[in-house]
Amino acid sequence: MAVLNRMDWYDLARSTNWTPKYVAEDELFPPKLSGEFGLPLTAWEEYDEPYKQTYPEYVKVQREKDAGAYSVKAALERSRIFENADPGWKSVMKAHYGAIARGEYAAASAEARMMRFSKAPGMRNMATLGCMDEIRHGQMQLYFPHEHVAKDRQMDWAFKAYDTNEWAMIAARHFFDDIMMTRDAISVSIMLTFSFETGFTNMQFLGLAADAAEAGDHTFANLISSIQTDESRHAQIGGPALKVLIANGQKQEAQKRVDIALWGAWKLFSVLTGPIMDYYTPLEHRKQSFKEFMEEWIVAQFERALTDMGLDLPWYWDIFLKDLSETHHGMHMGSYYWRPTVWWNPSAGITPAERDWLEEKYPGWNDTWGQCWDVIIDNVVDGNMAKAYPETLPYVCNMCQLPILGTPGKGWNVKDYPLEYQGRLYHFGSEVDRWVFEQEPERYAGHLSIVDRFLAGMIQPMNLEGALAYMNIGPGECGDDAHNYAWAEVYRALRAERKAV
Amino acid sequence: MSDIQILKPQKTWSHLAARRRKPSEYEIVSTNLHYNDRDAASPYELDPGMFMNEWYKKHTFDTALKHADWNAFRDPDEVVYRTYNLMQDGQETYVFGLFNQFNEREHDKALDPRWAGSLGRLYAPARFLFHALQMASAYVGQVSPASTLTNCNYFQMADSLRWLSHTAYRTRELALAFPDQGFGRDERRYWEQDPVWQGFRELVEKALTTWDWGEAIVALSLVVKPAVEEAVLRQLGASARHNGDTLLGLLTDAQLIDADRHRRWTAAFVAMALETTGNLELMMAWIACWAPLADRAIEAYCGALPDAPGAADAARAATRDIRRGLGL
Repeated sequence: MAVLNRMDWYDLARSTNWTPKYVAEDELFPPKLSGEFGLPLTAWEEYDEPYKQTYPEYVKVQREKDAGAYSVKAALERSRIFENADPGWKSVMKAHYGAIARGEYAAASAEARMMRFSKAPGMRNMATLGCMDEIRHGQMQLYFPHEHVAKDRQMDWAFKAYDTNEWAMIAARHFFDDIMMTRDAISVSIMLTFSFETGFTNMQFLGLAADAAEAGDHTFANLISSIQTDESRHAQIGGPALKVLIANGQKQEAQKRVDIALWGAWKLFSVLTGPIMDYYTPLEHRKQSFKEFMEEWIVAQFERALTDMGLDLPWYWDIFLKDLSETHHGMHMGSYYWRPTVWWNPSAGITPAERDWLEEKYPGWNDTWGQCWDVIIDNVVDGNMAKAYPETLPYVCNMCQLPILGTPGKGWNVKDYPLEYQGRLYHFGSEVDRWVFEQEPERYAGHLSIVDRFLAGMIQPMNLEGALAYMNIGPGECGDDAHNYAWAEVYRALRAERKAV
Repeated sequence: MSDIQILKPQKTWSHLAARRRKPSEYEIVSTNLHYNDRDAASPYELDPGMFMNEWYKKHTFDTALKHADWNAFRDPDEVVYRTYNLMQDGQETYVFGLFNQFNEREHDKALDPRWAGSLGRLYAPARFLFHALQMASAYVGQVSPASTLTNCNYFQMADSLRWLSHTAYRTRELALAFPDQGFGRDERRYWEQDPVWQGFRELVEKALTTWDWGEAIVALSLVVKPAVEEAVLRQLGASARHNGDTLLGLLTDAQLIDADRHRRWTAAFVAMALETTGNLELMMAWIACWAPLADRAIEAYCGALPDAPGAADAARAATRDIRRGLGL
């Protein structure tokens, strides 16, 4: 072969900055789109992406990856894995696809923002490939669930979720729109790729892939681990941008963006991924607890990445570490209790064996969350189903758009963190959510949470029925108990046993 | 309670289910994917008045180029991600096969040094121009009102990176064959200072700062790209063939295959735009505004191509033919 090596010509392909003449530099790279850091083009030419790939390498490798993932799908199409899967596992897939597929597609445009507006030529080329990756992830994660759409109406939400005002989707959009759709190129590189993709997608995709393989869902396991191989490339776009910022005295601005994005990602994961891992995935297929996954993929990873970068741990690190054992249990109980408002069937996940597992992984679970579940269990066992469904809405946070919650039991600690800003009173679920708002209130102030909309009369009639109509979720789509309350039989039997004694 | 209708599973996504036709893979994974058109007051789920919400309201949704349903747009080639890679991996195998073969035959050593000088001035600096197309396509894609349009622009962005990559690759090879001609060193100077490039530089700098989606897509797809492709691919390729540079002729032919695909979706886009009254006049007015810049760019560039008499006229005429063929 008489062809050049990649590095013979790679640098030329990223020597593409020029000094504009017919328009000003600030017109070609408007600060609000390119980043208001006051750094000139030359400063960004120092940007050096650690993961280098050329166009011909990209199309070749990606073609091969697609061939792999799509052939596994084709081979298993008639396998009835979906039909035979545990209902809890189906719920995992439904929640995942609905919250993720079109969000990934939207990320293509966040990558395109970096491509067009970054002053770093290396970033522009890497974001070109990143943009293509995100088209891939959007398209695959629509094509794969589409196979099941004729079997189960809730699968329609793999597409539909992003078009609705379903509460979890308001929260998902609020987060993704904040970190990736409405930021300048450099902030996107920090908030989306460094803060979100490095750790959190790793956890969602590799963690869930491990559970999927255990559950025998090889198509899904293959799909999401294939996606992660792309993420691990384009997630490295943000690191070198942080280096440039820090070298140019912008550490504080960089740190702020990391801290905002990390917190939002955590909150979203506490409602979507926590329940999936600790309650929906069948007990025998759980590789690790959500907290263990978080500690491995997020805590350890970030402590290392931030230190390597010369950044600090977020100021709220202690709060975050404490919440790892708590928040998602509340989110699970909330989404279970309000199950008609979600597009999947939550698995309660509280049989005696599962409770033992929860107690082992989260010492004290039975004395806290367990007490609340005892009430739900009693109502279901007694046939008091009216009491096992909600009538109103929970209060939600004006930042993460998720319920404001605390840990039940003796240490009951639920607390509102209010803030008055320009005559309006806002409510936050934590000190950190409030802090995020205070950093740039003009980004958030005019937004109405679903509860604000309810109180403003935008949701009619003002009851659960009106709320469901507003969320565009109807009978046939609304969630109910994944196992049709089969778990209650265990408790009925236990009661009968106790009576017999 | 008896009249509550329970929603049943359908054969495809609910938004495609009303039609009787079985959707293609392309439609399943490409249509109606943007969610920023849910709420006219607030494209994104944040303060309606924040900067980026205002940006999309103004530049995407309030453009003068109107259509009742841009989401009805379909790429005539129905390109999806996986077919894009299948196609372009094949194309790259072909191009890198050419690079390999011509290198083995010591093609560059046989080139006339004067032609090598022309390549240094008229070919190698094109990487800046192709990169500008990459950036412009990325912008038009991110503000397009339909995902099917967005995708065409993103694939076009990737194709522009492809052209840029070929140029960088050849620049390095030429630097090895002609170490004293400034390959790999002088491109930026040519791009920023040589009069042959200033027309294109002005054209793309202005196109890159056109924020209104309607005007940006018209300027890029109907004026800028046709001018670049006819001058810097087709006429350069012809000039190359007259100067013993078979490789460059074959390379620009291969790149023009991408350009032809871009023109097919552009034709579908124009046909769709013309369904709405007023768009014809609007697009004609934009073109009238942009075409003189493109003509000057073609003039300056093609005038310098060796052994290419009439290149400027031919390129200019070709851009007219493209537009006329679309009713513009």
